[in-house]
Parts: sequence; C-alpha cells; structure tokens
Amino acid sequence: MDAIVAEASLRIALVGVPNCGKTALFNRLTGSRQKVANYPGVTVERREGERLAADGRALRILDLPGTYSLTPTTLDEAIARDVLLGRVADAPAPGLVVCVVDAVHLPIGLRLALEVKRLGLPMVLALNRMDVAERRGVKIDIARLATELGVPVLPTIAVKRGGADALIDAIQPSLWEGHRRVAAPGWQESSAEDAEQTQVDLRGVLAAVGYSAPQESHWMARFDSVLLHPLYGLLVLVAVMFVMFQAVFSWAEAPMDWIDAGMSWMAAATAASLPAGPLSSLLVNGVIGGAGAVLVFLPQILILFLFILALEDSGYLPRAAYLLDRMMGGVGLSGRAFIPLLSSFACAIPGIMAARTIPGWRDRLTTIMIAPLMTCSARLPVYALLISALIPAREVGPFNLQGLVLFTLYVAGIVSALVVAWVMKHFAGARQYSPLMLELPDYQWPHAGNLLLGLWERVKIFLSRVGGIILALMIVLWFLSSYPAPPEGATGPPIQYSFAGRLGAMLEYLFAPIGFNWQISIALVPGLAAREVAVGALGTVYAMSAAGDDVAGQLQPVIASTWSLATACSLLAWYVFAPQCLSTLAVVKRETNSWRYPIIMAAYLFALAYVASFITYRVVGAWA
Amino acid sequence: MAQQILVAAIVVIAFAVSAWKLAPARRRLRVLMALDGWTARHPRLAGWREQILKPRILRAAGSGCAGCAANVGVKPHHPPR
Repeated sequence: MDAIVAEASLRIALVGVPNCGKTALFNRLTGSRQKVANYPGVTVERREGERLAADGRALRILDLPGTYSLTPTTLDEAIARDVLLGRVADAPAPGLVVCVVDAVHLPIGLRLALEVKRLGLPMVLALNRMDVAERRGVKIDIARLATELGVPVLPTIAVKRGGADALIDAIQPSLWEGHRRVAAPGWQESSAEDAEQTQVDLRGVLAAVGYSAPQESHWMARFDSVLLHPLYGLLVLVAVMFVMFQAVFSWAEAPMDWIDAGMSWMAAATAASLPAGPLSSLLVNGVIGGAGAVLVFLPQILILFLFILALEDSGYLPRAAYLLDRMMGGVGLSGRAFIPLLSSFACAIPGIMAARTIPGWRDRLTTIMIAPLMTCSARLPVYALLISALIPAREVGPFNLQGLVLFTLYVAGIVSALVVAWVMKHFAGARQYSPLMLELPDYQWPHAGNLLLGLWERVKIFLSRVGGIILALMIVLWFLSSYPAPPEGATGPPIQYSFAGRLGAMLEYLFAPIGFNWQISIALVPGLAAREVAVGALGTVYAMSAAGDDVAGQLQPVIASTWSLATACSLLAWYVFAPQCLSTLAVVKRETNSWRYPIIMAAYLFALAYVASFITYRVVGAWA
Repeated sequence: MAQQILVAAIVVIAFAVSAWKLAPARRRLRVLMALDGWTARHPRLAGWREQILKPRILRAAGSGCAGCAANVGVKPHHPPR
C-alpha cells in the first residue's frame, strides 16, 4: 500500500461545504463516476482517484466529505479535517488543497476557505457553478479575491465538459514543488474569538471583491410555497411516491415479458442442445432457472431508480426532508436522518454509512438500527414476484392493484421504522434535540446525462450482482439440491434427498407456523447473502423439484398454483422486515465498532419478521 | 466423465467465489496485499499486478477508513463514552 501511495507525485484534496460540487469536480478531474446529487451529505467518506499530469506524473486526488468548518460536529466532517491535518494513518497530508466554493453562495464557502488557509497548506480556490452565478446576477471580482486571499482563484463549471480546464492547468505538480506538505504545527480548533475574527475577515473580503448576493428566483419561491406547505407539500410528496410505485408495475410489464421469454427460450435451447446429465441440469436449473429468475426484475429496478435519480437531481429531496422533520422528530429521529434513510431505499449499506452525518451518537444509532426497515431495491424482485403471482393485475378505480399493494408494502416498511424509532426513544430516555439545518439547493431540471449515467451505474451494479454473487450462490445451491443422489427405489423428487432438501425439511419445523413450505425455507438460507438471491433460489429449488418437467423461467405460475394466498402474504410480511442480509450486519459492526448492535439488530428484525408473518398467515388464512 | 469433471470445476469455482464475495472487506484487503507482496517478487506478473491487482487494492482500501487494514488500530466511529 505504501508503495502505491508513494507513486503519486502530488496528493490533492478537494474540500468545501456540502453540495458545492466537489464530487462533480472530482469526477471531472479523474474521469471517475462517483455518485453526485443535488443535496448535501452524498459523500461521507474520502474517495480517491488518479489523473496524469501534463508531464506524465500521477496526481492522486481525494474527494472529502463536505464540511462547514474545521471544527467538526459529525463524523464525516471529522474525516475531512483529519485528512487535511494528516491524522489518518494511511493518508499523508495533501500536498495541495483545492478549496471548492459555490460562487452562488460565496459567503458560506469562503468562510471555510479562510479557515483552511490558516492551515498553511498550499491552496487553490475553485469558484464553482460560475454559470449559475452569472445567470443569477452574482458579482465577484475574481482577481481581487485572489489578491485578498493570497491564493490562485479559478472559475469552474464542474458539470460542463472543459469547465475545469483552468483548474487542471493550476494543479500541475511542477508548480507546487518545494511547498510545505504538512499543516501548520500549532493549529488548533477555532475558539469563539477565532470564529468572530473569521467572520470579520469574511466581511472584509466580501466587501473588497464587490460581492452581490444572487437575485431571488420568483418561480422558485412559488414552488417552495406549495412544496414546503405543511399540508399541500405532504400531499404532493404522497402523490409523487404513489405515481412512482404505480409506474414500477405499469411501465415494466413489457420489458419484463421480453426478458422472461428470452430466459424460457434460452432454457429450452440449452436443454435441447445438451445431452441429459449434470451439465444440462446445472445450466438449465441452476444458472438460467436461478440467476435468470432475478434478471427479469431489472426493468422494475430501473424505473424505480429513474424516479429517485430525477427527484435527487431536481433538488426536491431536501424539501421532502424539511417536510418530514416534524414527523420524524415526533418519534425521536433527528431531521438529519432523512437522507440516510432515503439512501436506504437503494440499499441499507450506504444509508447506514450516511448516518455519519448525524451528530449525536444516540440519534445516529437509532437511524442505523432502522435503516434496514426501508425497503431496499434487493427486496423489489421478491415483492414483484409474489405480487405478480398472486395479486390480479386489475384496476381499482384509476389505480393498478399491484402497484397499490407495492406502495402499501413500502409504506409498511416506513411505518415500522417510525414505530421502532419511537420505541427506541422511550427505551433510551430523553435525548438532546438536534435541529435539522439543511441548505435547500436550487431547483433544476434533471440533467438527462446524469439520469442516464445513474441508470447505467444501476444496470452495472445489478448485472455484476447477478453475474457474481447471485450466480455463484445459485451454482452452489444447485449442487446442494442435486447431491447426494436419491437412493434406489426413491419415489419423491430427487431434491428431497439432497443436502438442501434435508436442510429445508429441518427448517420447515421452524417456519411451518408462519406458513412457509420447505422450498421457501431453503430459499431463505442463500437469501442471507443478498435478499434478491431468495428469488433465484426459489427458481432453482422449484426447477429441481419438478421431477423432470422444466420450470425454468416459469416460477410465477408455479407459485400461483401451489402457494396459498396466506403463505404468499406471510412471505411478503417477512420481507418487510427481512432480517437476513449479512452485508448490512457487517457494515453495522464496522460503523458501531461493536458486535453488540448487529446482534441486537438481527434479533429484533427476526422477531418482528416472525411475529408479522405469523399474524399475517393466521389472519389471511382465516379470512381467505 | 468429461461433463462431470467440468461441472465439478464450475461448482468448486462457485464455492470459492461465494466465499470471497462474502468475506469481510478487511480480510479481502489482507489477501490482496499478500498477493501484491508475492507478485512483486515475480517480474513476469508485473503487468497483471499493475493493471488488475493495483486497482482492486485501491478500491478495497478506499471502501471506508475502518475498512482499511492499515487503520486497524484506529477507531474513528466508536461511540462516545
């Protein structure tokens, strides 16, 4: 590792307040594709990338979490400060700091720049979003700003091709050779007097550079009057979510049918072209029946993310956080928990990591503990499979019934999270109120390039999971479902005599009270690795149980004809809580630095899932 | 027979991939670092080391400050006492 770090001729750190465009600039400089969004708190850890300088030497560029000052209140801010001070074990202090300042909101960024300058490290100031600043009538004398600060000041437009060329010219290693590479030795965190002095300096610089604040946009104010209204705002939020889940089912139908037909054709062609034997069984039942069953849900995942990405890019999400702050505060959650919980809809892992932006340990722990209750995208294939199999695709008024059920399941996850947070608040006792301080970004039209890039990233993530861990586990499961072979004279399907069949029979004792058969019980085990694996596992198990009939690509009708409505609803209730995700538990261990919390999390989620499934199974069974 | 050998090889690889993917990030990084040390002594593997191994190590090391083996003694996320 040391060798790899030493190869870089200059280490450059990008530092700035949240949502000033650091990550967009990082992507522009390194050709990387880190996630960017139009709200603060997207980057919670340092990220590194490389760029070749004009002389062929390597530049190592660090993207640090956003921070308002070098006196941190949250973990992500502490990471930014520690990297600048060279306090992180494997990261020496940067040789050059690029302080990124949003030109539209110059005073906020400049305050941090003044603090960073006192560290004594070589520094360049990137005045970002200059295009928006000019449109909104912001006046800045850039040459005077450079004189006042005593550092080069370079205008940038991080989202535009060529928008960082001036900055690239200014970060060539030859220009910074011989400069100090450690922070000022006597540096201390700001006292109240220092903060006051910084404010005085800031006012002086702003006056000197002739800064004029941006003109208020009338249509933005009109939008906010509706979207931030306590009643209309909530109605709009519910409507947006509702349309999103309707679209997941309505728009995805055709592409899902195409993929499904492709899988069935591939299974038939493979079976026809290979002689009967283990290879044919592995490919048809394990690979196509297992991994292929998960692949079908790609269109639904993409539609869900299209909405989420568009909402992110438009600047709507922080407004939703503001709207929900009061409700979240009522159950003991910090308003800052909104962004981590929102991230958890994609996957609980980034959500749990994003909880670093929450200052209080108790608030942070509550957010971490409820993050897995947000319905992650891995649960979508399970929901979609069961809903498509057992809920009729008919209209209820203007709404699609299947979309309605999906919406209800997502709401069930959110409500459960709020209830758990409320219970934790009462167990943990009184807490210090932590107000939500959120900078509302400007509204903007979602950028088509950003949306396509975001969707392409999701396609890659999904396909790499299907082709990686899911495929590997399906092959392992096929092996466990095929061996040992049934004894002479056996009458049942061969899988019943296999390792997986025996395991399923044992687990069935545990899960029979909640209506799960042995096939479902088996599928829950590989589902520990990733939740959507359970769908593939069901595909493999049913294909192996079919005693010669090929059911690859036909999982849905098999479920519809063999499961009761009570069993399907019970499994849906199980997946609202879905205690099984090893990666999530591992991240909780890492973030809390203790085994105690992942164990508590696994136990409470398992208990909730079991109780919810039990009640659902009994109630639906009695009613149906 | 050839079919059975091929299937056995696929299953063994699948077991290995599953174990690797499910291993903790810190353990995976240690394995990659050990592999880096070994390939450094074999000049013939220099291209593979530079193009395949190095990006993997950087990705693994960048997965968070606590995910890095070099930070094994640092406890940045410990709850305040």
